[in-house]
Amino acid sequence: MTAPASTGRDLRLDFFRGLSLWFIFLDHIPSNRLSWLTIRNYGFSDAAEIFVFISGYTAAFVYARVMRERGFIVGSARILKRVWQLYVAFVFLSVIYIAQTAYVAHQFDNPLFAEEMVVLHFLQRPETILLEVLRLRFLVANADVLPLYVILMLAFPFMLWLLLRNPTLAFATSIAIWAAAYFGGVNLRLYPLERGWFFNPFAWQLLFFIGAWCAVGGARWIQTLYRSNIVLVICIVYLLFAFALAMTRVVPESVRMLPEWLLLFPLDKTGMSPLRLAHFLALTILVVRFIPQDTAFLRSGWAEPLLMCGRHSLEVFCLGVFLSLMGNFVLVEISGTLPMQVAVSISGIVLMVGLAALLSWYKDLDRRAPKQPATR
Amino acid sequence: MSWGAPSVRVAAATAAFLALVSAANAATDERCEIPAIFVEPLSPLPRAAAAARRDRKLDILVLSGSPSQTGAAKGLRSYPAYFQDALREKFPSLEVHVAISAAPRRSVADLVPQLDKVLADARPSLVIWQAGTADAYRGLEAESFAEALRRGLSKVLESGADVVLMDMQYSPRTDNLVDVGGYIANMRWITSSMEVPLFSRYEIMRHWNDTGAFDLGSLRNNGLFEQVHRCIGELLADFVARGAELKEFESKER
Repeated sequence: MTAPASTGRDLRLDFFRGLSLWFIFLDHIPSNRLSWLTIRNYGFSDAAEIFVFISGYTAAFVYARVMRERGFIVGSARILKRVWQLYVAFVFLSVIYIAQTAYVAHQFDNPLFAEEMVVLHFLQRPETILLEVLRLRFLVANADVLPLYVILMLAFPFMLWLLLRNPTLAFATSIAIWAAAYFGGVNLRLYPLERGWFFNPFAWQLLFFIGAWCAVGGARWIQTLYRSNIVLVICIVYLLFAFALAMTRVVPESVRMLPEWLLLFPLDKTGMSPLRLAHFLALTILVVRFIPQDTAFLRSGWAEPLLMCGRHSLEVFCLGVFLSLMGNFVLVEISGTLPMQVAVSISGIVLMVGLAALLSWYKDLDRRAPKQPATR
Repeated sequence: MSWGAPSVRVAAATAAFLALVSAANAATDERCEIPAIFVEPLSPLPRAAAAARRDRKLDILVLSGSPSQTGAAKGLRSYPAYFQDALREKFPSLEVHVAISAAPRRSVADLVPQLDKVLADARPSLVIWQAGTADAYRGLEAESFAEALRRGLSKVLESGADVVLMDMQYSPRTDNLVDVGGYIANMRWITSSMEVPLFSRYEIMRHWNDTGAFDLGSLRNNGLFEQVHRCIGELLADFVARGAELKEFESKER
C-alpha cells in the first residue's frame, strides 16, 4: 500500500474489502457451486485473509492519528467504542442464528437424524447458550471472523501504542504470539467441548498486525518490496506453485504424482500456516504493484457496488452471514439445483449492495443536515 | 387436470409408488458402494467365529443409546433388520438372530452398569455396540467417555462375546455445531488398543455425502432413512462376515 500521507481514502481498500465480503458470503453457503469463483480454490489463502488484513490496515490508519494527536486514552476510548459495536453485532447475529437453528430443528422431519436433532443441547438450554454467547464462548458457525475481530480490536490499543513507539519490537511481539499459537496451540476455548476457536486470535493477530504495520510503520519497507523485480518474480512463482497444488484437489488422480513432501493439504487455517500467510502477502504485493491507487476503474461507476460494501463492512458482513444461513436453508429446503444456487448467490449479493447503498444514503443525509442547535 | 374415478386414482398412485420403490431398490446397491477399506475389520472376531462353527448359529445383540437409529422407537425398518436379512441371505447354513437393546439417549456411562443384565438376558456371541451419539451431542467430557467405553468393552469381552464398536452418523446439518471428531478419534484409539474392530459409520456416510451418493443434508426423509439403513446393514454384514470368517456358511448344505 502506498504511503498513508496520500490524499483521501485508498479506494483499493474499500474495493477489496467489499470483494472479500462477497467471497465470504459465497463460500459460506455449503455446496454452492458459485464458491468456485472465489480465491480459496486457486491457492492457499482465502477471503478471510483479505478481510483481516484490510481491517488491520484501516484500523491503524484511522486510530493512529487519533492516538498521535490526542493520546493513548482518547485513542483507546475510540477503539473500544468500535469494539462495543462489533460485540453488539456479534450478539445480534448469534440471536438470529439460534432462532434460525431452532426453526430448522422445528421443521426437521427426517428420522435419519432425529437423534442428532433432538439432542441439540443449546436449544434445550437457552439460558446457558445465551450466556455463553455473551461470554464469546459460543460462536456462530461461519461468522467466527466477527468475534475474531472483536478480540483483535480489544487488544488493538496496546498493539497500536507499541507499533507507534517501537515498530520492530511490536513486530517481534506479534510474531512471538503467533508462534505460541501455531507451535504451542495456545487458543481461546469454546462451550461446551472446550475446543479452540476456528480463527485462533493469537495466530490471526499476526495478519491484522501486518496490516496495521503497513499503514503506519512499514510503508517505506513495503515500497521497496513491491518495486523490486526479484520480489515480483518470487511472488509470481510462489502463486503459480500454490495454484498448481490447489488444482490437485480438483483432479484427485493427480495427487498420486506428488512426492510426499508436497502433500501439504490441509493447511492449518486455525493457526495461520506460514504458507497461507506467504500466499496472501504475495498476492497483496502483486495487487499493489499492478493496480495503482488512481486506477480509473475504481472511480468509474462499475466499482461502486463493491466500494459501498467495503465502506460499510461491518453491517454488510453481518447481513452476508445471515444471508448465507438463509441461502443454505433455501437450497436444502426448496431446491439445490445449479440455477437455484446462482439465483440465491446473486440475490444475496444484490441485498448486500442494497444495504450498503441504504447506509451510504443515511450517511449522506447526516452530512447534509444542518447542525442542530444545542438545546438547553 | 381432473382425476376421474377413484379407482383410477388409486391405480395411478399405486403405479407411481411401485415405480418409485423399484427405482429406489435398483439404485440402492450401487449407492451403497464404498471402498473396501471401510468394511475391512482391523481386528478379527474369534469368539463369534468359534460360536458360529460350534453351533452353526450366531446370536447377535445390537446395543444402542439411540433407539431411533435402530428402529426400536418408531417401528421403522432400520439397519439391524437389514443386517439380519443380509447375513441370513448370504449365509443360508448359519442360523442368525439379531436382537436389539436400545434405550433413549443413553451415554456410554449410563449404559455400562446395565450391561451385565443385558448380556445375561440375551446371551449373544457377538455384540454390535453403537455408541457415542449421546455423548458427543451432550458434549460429555472426553476422558470419562473413554474410561466408560473401555470398561464396557471389557465387560462384553469377559462375557465371552465379541464386540464391534459402531460410531456416530455423519450429520451435515449438525456437523458445524457438534465436534464428533474428537470422540471418534478416542473410539478409534481405544478399539485398536483393545483389538476390537471399529465399524466407522461416520466415515462411510461422510464418503457418501462427499461423493453425492446420498444427500444427507435433507430435512425431509424422501426414503433416505430406509436407503441409508439398508446400506449400513448390508455393509455391517459384510464387515462381520470378514471378521468372523463366515465364508464356509455360504453353501446351503449343513
